[in-house]
Amino acid sequence: MLKNRVKELRARYGFTQSDLGTQVDVTRQTIAFIEKGEFSPSITLSLKLAKALQTNVNDLFWLEEDVDHEK
Amino acid sequence: MKNDFRMQYPLWMMGFIVVLGIFLFGVNSPETTEIVNTEVEQSILVEYGLVQGFIIVGSIILYLIMLLIFYIKMRRHNTMNPTQKIPSFAIRPPEYLEQDEGMTHITRIASQKVYTFMTWSLPALAVFAMFSPLPRIYIVLSILAVALLQYVIYYREIRKHLKEEDE
Repeated sequence: MLKNRVKELRARYGFTQSDLGTQVDVTRQTIAFIEKGEFSPSITLSLKLAKALQTNVNDLFWLEEDVDHEK
Repeated sequence: MKNDFRMQYPLWMMGFIVVLGIFLFGVNSPETTEIVNTEVEQSILVEYGLVQGFIIVGSIILYLIMLLIFYIKMRRHNTMNPTQKIPSFAIRPPEYLEQDEGMTHITRIASQKVYTFMTWSLPALAVFAMFSPLPRIYIVLSILAVALLQYVIYYREIRKHLKEEDE
């Protein structure tokens, strides 16, 4: 399963879901789906989100099993 | 999102199907039916009682009122959302929410559920229509029931995702 830090970073920068959605050109609902891990965003959207949240894709998204392997 | 007319569209369709079913039920419940078919005269006399008449006229009036409200709401939606207009006559269902990849994702899940339902319900309906000894009205009502259920499945799935998202 794809995990992410979108909610955490969004809160850090004080963005609402609508603010972030506007920046990356998607609806607020889609930001909410991503934060819940309900769907995996495309590479394009992932790159846009990473740029808007001033990070890189690897820090923003990771696979849950990768973390398990590292433990 | 709650006020997005495309979200409400399946509910309207469900409403129209139910009213159509009520109308069909009323039309097919005559108190007297007299068919004359001779060499000199062909005629059909159908008489409805008070209750049946009320059902028929009431459902027609209700349908027209719903159609008017539906049309007004659709026009309002089209005025407020010029980039996402709902055409009056379109083959593509307007309830698809595909303005971005997240909405496309939930539309796909809902559409898959409807498709799954259709793959077994239509053959079952065809078998029912072929072998059922029941009058034709029940076949028509069964078709309406399938049409109604597909909207119920679609709406419930979309609503589930957007309800969770609202919380």
